Amino acid sequence: MATIKINGKEITVEDNTLILDAARKAGYEIPTFCYQADLMGIGSCRMCLVEIEGQRKLQPSCITPVLHGMSINTDSSTVASARAGVLEFLLANHALDCPVCDKGGECELQDMVHKYGPRTGRHAEPKFKFHEKDYVLSQVIIKNSNRCVQCMKCVRVCREVVGRNVLGALGRGDHQEPTSFNRTFLDCDMDGNCIEVCPVGCFMRLPYRYKSRPWDLKGADTICPYCATGCRMVIEERDGQLLRARAQLGVGLNSETLCARGRFGCDFVNSAERITKPLIRHQAATWAEALASVKDGFSGKEGKHIGGVAAATLTNEELYLFQKLMRTVFGSPNIDSSSRWNSDAASAFIHAASMNEGGVSIFDCMEADTVLIIGSHISDENPVSEYIVRRISSNRRMNLIIASPRAMKLDSSANVKLRHLPAAEKAVLDAITLVINAGKLSEAEKLKAIKDSKMVDLLTAAGVGVDEITDIAKRLSASQSVAIVAGTEFLRFPDGTSGLALLKDVLKNLGKKVTVMPTLDRCNQRGAWEMGVHPSFGPGYATAEKGMDTEALLEAAMRGEIDALYVVGEDIISDYPDREFARTALSKVRFLVVQDIFMSETAKLAHVILPGASFSEKEGMFTNQEGRAQSIRKLLALPGKAKRDLDIIRAVGELFDGSFGPKNAVLVLDEIRQVNPMYSDVSLLFNNKKNSDNRLDNRAALVKCAAGVLPAAGEFASKAVSSRMEEHSFALVTGSHLFHLGRFSRKSETLLGLIKGATVEICEDDAARLGFVSGEKVKVKGKNHEVLATLKTSTGSKSRVAFIPESFEDAEVNRFFRRGEGVPRVSITRANQ
Amino acid sequence: MSDKKGGIDILDLIKKVLFTDFVKGLRITLGYNVSKSITHRYPDEEKWIPYRRFRGVHTLNRDEHGRELCVACELCVKACPTSCITVVPMEDDTGRGIADRVAKIWKVNLVRCLYCGYCEDACPTRAVRLGREYELACADFKCTVRNREELLLPQPVPESIEGGLVAKAKFERSLSGIKVTADLSATKKRAW
Amino acid sequence: MLSDKAKKEIEAALKKYPNKRSAVMDALRIAQHDRGGHLERSDMEDVAAMLEMNPVEVNAAAAFYTMYNIRKPVGKYHVQVCRNISCSLLGAEHIIKYMEKSLNIKTGETTPDNRFTLSTVECLGSCGTAPMMQINDDYFENLTEQKVDEIIKKLV
Repeated sequence: MATIKINGKEITVEDNTLILDAARKAGYEIPTFCYQADLMGIGSCRMCLVEIEGQRKLQPSCITPVLHGMSINTDSSTVASARAGVLEFLLANHALDCPVCDKGGECELQDMVHKYGPRTGRHAEPKFKFHEKDYVLSQVIIKNSNRCVQCMKCVRVCREVVGRNVLGALGRGDHQEPTSFNRTFLDCDMDGNCIEVCPVGCFMRLPYRYKSRPWDLKGADTICPYCATGCRMVIEERDGQLLRARAQLGVGLNSETLCARGRFGCDFVNSAERITKPLIRHQAATWAEALASVKDGFSGKEGKHIGGVAAATLTNEELYLFQKLMRTVFGSPNIDSSSRWNSDAASAFIHAASMNEGGVSIFDCMEADTVLIIGSHISDENPVSEYIVRRISSNRRMNLIIASPRAMKLDSSANVKLRHLPAAEKAVLDAITLVINAGKLSEAEKLKAIKDSKMVDLLTAAGVGVDEITDIAKRLSASQSVAIVAGTEFLRFPDGTSGLALLKDVLKNLGKKVTVMPTLDRCNQRGAWEMGVHPSFGPGYATAEKGMDTEALLEAAMRGEIDALYVVGEDIISDYPDREFARTALSKVRFLVVQDIFMSETAKLAHVILPGASFSEKEGMFTNQEGRAQSIRKLLALPGKAKRDLDIIRAVGELFDGSFGPKNAVLVLDEIRQVNPMYSDVSLLFNNKKNSDNRLDNRAALVKCAAGVLPAAGEFASKAVSSRMEEHSFALVTGSHLFHLGRFSRKSETLLGLIKGATVEICEDDAARLGFVSGEKVKVKGKNHEVLATLKTSTGSKSRVAFIPESFEDAEVNRFFRRGEGVPRVSITRANQ
Repeated sequence: MSDKKGGIDILDLIKKVLFTDFVKGLRITLGYNVSKSITHRYPDEEKWIPYRRFRGVHTLNRDEHGRELCVACELCVKACPTSCITVVPMEDDTGRGIADRVAKIWKVNLVRCLYCGYCEDACPTRAVRLGREYELACADFKCTVRNREELLLPQPVPESIEGGLVAKAKFERSLSGIKVTADLSATKKRAW
Repeated sequence: MLSDKAKKEIEAALKKYPNKRSAVMDALRIAQHDRGGHLERSDMEDVAAMLEMNPVEVNAAAAFYTMYNIRKPVGKYHVQVCRNISCSLLGAEHIIKYMEKSLNIKTGETTPDNRFTLSTVECLGSCGTAPMMQINDDYFENLTEQKVDEIIKKLV
């Protein structure tokens, strides 16, 4: 601890605290351009100069740590004139085109000059110009280097947070320009974090170019509707059009970072394809007619012949009311929240990840000695979670282990990267468990245990070497605390969950602190389960009468046993593995109601379509993958005659029970708090203060432990693939693309501009072996389906693994899958062959 | 004026006999009869051309190459105390404006406007100026909103004319409305 | 593309450094020599691939130092006149102007016969003998107009 004096005020801070942080803690504002808590300090802008008694020159406070007994002056006249001087120099070459600049009105340089700056400049020389016209750096970035203040935040955020490292500072001194290699067009993650951190109008959004001024925009602080990381962001509209989404420094767990989907993908709400009025057999109708038709369809039907599927993109309030509607009004236990995996897989995953034990903060997970990421392509599925892992892992010594069939960006931060075969999570985890257990044996026994035929089987099934597994086991055994980040592969291939549970227990028995954090790919998947939109449990994982999940509903529909099905926001046909089966089954449903915002494949079969609301048009709460309940806010008016999903669900309920309710989101939340012990004292207060000390972990939002205990899940048959394959044959995996997740992103103009058609990703060596080059069209042929896709190669992926993202409607990747079968085999050949 | 109290003032008497006060009064009245008139015969024959400093209907201006000066920075919108200006920017690098940022929409609601001239002060490129047009009367609310195309038209009173003049005018009434056209070649200084 | 000879040279140079990235300046020097005085985009990409760096990092290193000439071929003699403080005080500006006049080009340009390229650089560490310049790999110090004339005459 060091005691220092700032402007005469005594304050005690930790050793090695930066003067800047100490001063901010003491309540003194020090202006900065280049300082950002998450990034390496470079002290380049000199705005933060302070006077230290006994030192002749002013010191940059953002890179100078405090020393015991220091006396610091932050607002003397010397400091003030230094700041004015720095600003005068920054303005010497700054193109003063504020009226044209998109940053005008929210520019840090403007604010600083207004506050600290010289009122007149003395530089009469012609200004240096990098270029005359703004140039386009990528599909989302337009750049004007003449406005640069050389804070290099863009370069640092790209390297240290995003991990792409495609920006660099070219030149030196005042001619230094942060840009891409040779100013060429960027092929990067398009997340626009460089735009967000830019204090001036050097990096600008291309989709937002010349659209508005900050004072025209009306904003709402909300949560991103894509993956389950739960990034807080502000969406802003002008004249009813959502113009941009931005993150705020020090707000939410993501602080200033977002991914491409969040930052540029929210424009789907402006889409002209939105359903704006109720449709009965695809004819426009009034709400009264539509609801009357729903009443006809559902009345007199037995509960067991009714089903409901609600998407995990709805709010907790809507999901709660939906399951209440199904369970109490229709008397039907047949509800589910996903059509991509079955409910037993979800139960097993919830059990293995101990989700009923309450929320787990990702920041706590990153405190562990060893972090094992398995079953998730975290870089593409949860990019902002990945930023957090990268940022923290670069700051502290920890083991980062990544097990995945596909290479990912985070590999560069990992200590161990394991490439296993698809759907072999169980084999990998079991092998690790086996080796950890072997550690308790003597040397001779150990060798014997490893040479045990079971181990060999596991290694073959996983397609990994014994050294890698031993290395991981050694690292796990040596650490005091272990965090396991388990992803959606465990839901696709639920046999892995038993391996996960076993490893967790073994590590716990060894006296280690084990935390498991799930990573999910729908914004409210966890909320959906916790609200009880699951056929075997109610709100708060309370045991409920067992019903049918989506898969069972479709099977029952195939047998003609489903009289009425209420689908909210879910596109079963596009998501269910085995598209044809889902289509035939749904067409046999006697009465299908679909409530959605776009005309989905499922909606095309519906008897009644009810237009719902997007995330920007309603209030509510999402629970992210960590179990953090966060609220979303209404910004836009509903398009046409669309209604909020909560109001529609309630109106449907009122058709049968006049007192069905509660009436609005606030009252529903009150009821959730009473019914669901996990949410009894979750704080939804917006942590909207700018936290200068960068504390992003809002613990008040974490859900509590559930009251009941989840029963252990059963065993699942392994669906792993064998590694023996023909020359052109690949094991096909699917998941989210970096730019596309779910169906909303396919309506976003900006995201479609980034990538439109489906891609198939294989590893570089396979491409070289087959003579393919990245970017060429290839034909992917499976047993049931074939598609043309653009080939993409990746370095370091498992050989013989092909990846096709699930969102692309031109690939219809779920057609490759067949019910009851495991990982499908596909062959990849040239398109023209 | 009288120095003798109680007695009859001779001078006063003479004034009364000669009707001097009456004549004085009559002189003013008759003087106005022959002096120049200070009212304008507006709208039938004359029209007042205001000084340059007059704050009338907004104008949008061009530079000497004919490019629009407006860069759609929306500072006028921000400065406007009555929120009567709407600006929507767009990108156009074909040389329409002095920058690649130009106004897609620039409209002002003349009924809301209080002609304070803040927009003019806020404008960094001197694109928006309050012009010398003051005839706002119209028959429907639609014409109280002027948009970019109209505001960009050349001013009926060019900048070179200093103003403070009375011009010969013609009053026209047609189906489309009423119009007063001034003949700027026939002007006279105002009378006072 | 780098020639095989240059690639071999870079491979050899790599051994001198604790890690590959550290060799970036040496590698760029070899690449520039290989190209004949300047660096093309592809050279930087090749160096980046060999050193397992990101191309933009190599680009940044090459753009920082005045001894690398990015994408602009230089003449046979690359005249680099120091314009830093010591040289400036002792008349570097004057020398630069004189050079411009005698070579009949502006700073940053190359003579039409591709003989001379004139550029200004930051301190070359020879302040004691200011004003000075560097032509290709040689220093010319304590410059005066006559000396400049002599040097140019010798080279022509």
